[in-house]
Amino acid sequence: MASNSNKANHNRVYGIIAAAVIILLLIIVFRSPTTSNPNQADALAPQKLINQITSVPTSVSDGVGNGSTTTKASPISAKSYLTSKGLPQILYMGAEYCPYCAAERWPMIIALSKFGTFSNLHTTHSSTTDVYADTQTFSFHDSTFVSKYIGFTPVEMFSNIADSNASSGYTTLDTPTTAQQSLMSTYDAPPYVSSSNQGAIPFIYFGGKYLIVGASYSPQVLQGKSYQQIANSLSSSNNTIAKGMLGAANNITATICKLTNNQPSSACTPTIMGLESSL
Amino acid sequence: MSIKSIFVFENLKPKKIVEVSLVISLFGIADAIYLTIAHYTQATILACPTTSFINCDKVTTSSYSEIFGIPVSILGLAFFLALFIIQLPIFWTSKYLWVKTPRIVFVSIGLISAFWFIYVELHKLHAICLYCTGIHTLTFLSFITILLASENFQATNKKA
Repeated sequence: MASNSNKANHNRVYGIIAAAVIILLLIIVFRSPTTSNPNQADALAPQKLINQITSVPTSVSDGVGNGSTTTKASPISAKSYLTSKGLPQILYMGAEYCPYCAAERWPMIIALSKFGTFSNLHTTHSSTTDVYADTQTFSFHDSTFVSKYIGFTPVEMFSNIADSNASSGYTTLDTPTTAQQSLMSTYDAPPYVSSSNQGAIPFIYFGGKYLIVGASYSPQVLQGKSYQQIANSLSSSNNTIAKGMLGAANNITATICKLTNNQPSSACTPTIMGLESSL
Repeated sequence: MSIKSIFVFENLKPKKIVEVSLVISLFGIADAIYLTIAHYTQATILACPTTSFINCDKVTTSSYSEIFGIPVSILGLAFFLALFIIQLPIFWTSKYLWVKTPRIVFVSIGLISAFWFIYVELHKLHAICLYCTGIHTLTFLSFITILLASENFQATNKKA
């Protein structure tokens, strides 16, 4: 009787271990259903929204200063500076699914709009299954930027639409040129970034003189916020979002001002020039 | 030791299983200490990796690496320290149920946590940290050894 009881106990243990193994296998093969909405990604950004974020009063942005910026542009010395038609060129490489790209596009638009004009910007969001899921943002895909001070080339390599067959896990949007790929291979690698961050995005190359890899502030502050809530938060320099986003925008503006020799003066204000010294 | 004796655990002595389990806990403590140090010292950037699925930085510095502000690695360290203590011989030979039952419950909670973090790595972060995988494996092995030891101690006590 005791032997039968022991055997039953042992079988129960085998069963529990087998159940644990099955649960583990289910976790490994399970795929989260994507809730990405392609239509939302295709929506043209309302001009009112663009105007609101690109016309933040100087008193507010100056009040933020460096804000809560965690990553600033690093100086690099490329063999040849990236220019086009005599203007310094800024290259952005990122992806719609990436939450850090999502966070960085906001200050990029704010900063670049001080030097030129965007058109055809679309609203989108980061992956709904990644960290900092569904961060509301804009897409540079199919957008254009016109400026007499700088050139801007955005490359949104992937969408936010899951594709289990793609190596990145998302469908392809813009394919980088050989030259763009070469810049990324060279400068998005050691010694410019750690080996574990090699190839990381967003990758922003400022004319061969400066480099930003990664978001300049944490996407955490944008979690759960709508476009309008984010835009509204930029009206106060004490707001957490404003400190992150406007601080990042100020530092990006300062980096661009270094490329343009502080032109125009409307962008390269004394506060911005003060930030230039820390680059 | 025959192959059969490895799989037919009733042939294993409870003491041996506990010794193995204690060694597993020590490995878990060492791994968790490394991850705790890495959590506080690794300089990382807020970026999406495009190349490497094996990326400890992304995992150990993600928003999932802390629970209520406490690094998960510290919780892991506390887990393996507690696991080591409750598996000391003095606790295994205790006849009191309040010692036996919590041990299985405790390691089960550890296993469920490991399952959750495996899910987060694979499906939320799309990155794997091998040191974290080490912790998950050690937790799984602890779960098995504690189950085996519990059953074998029970069987030994019945024989006695």
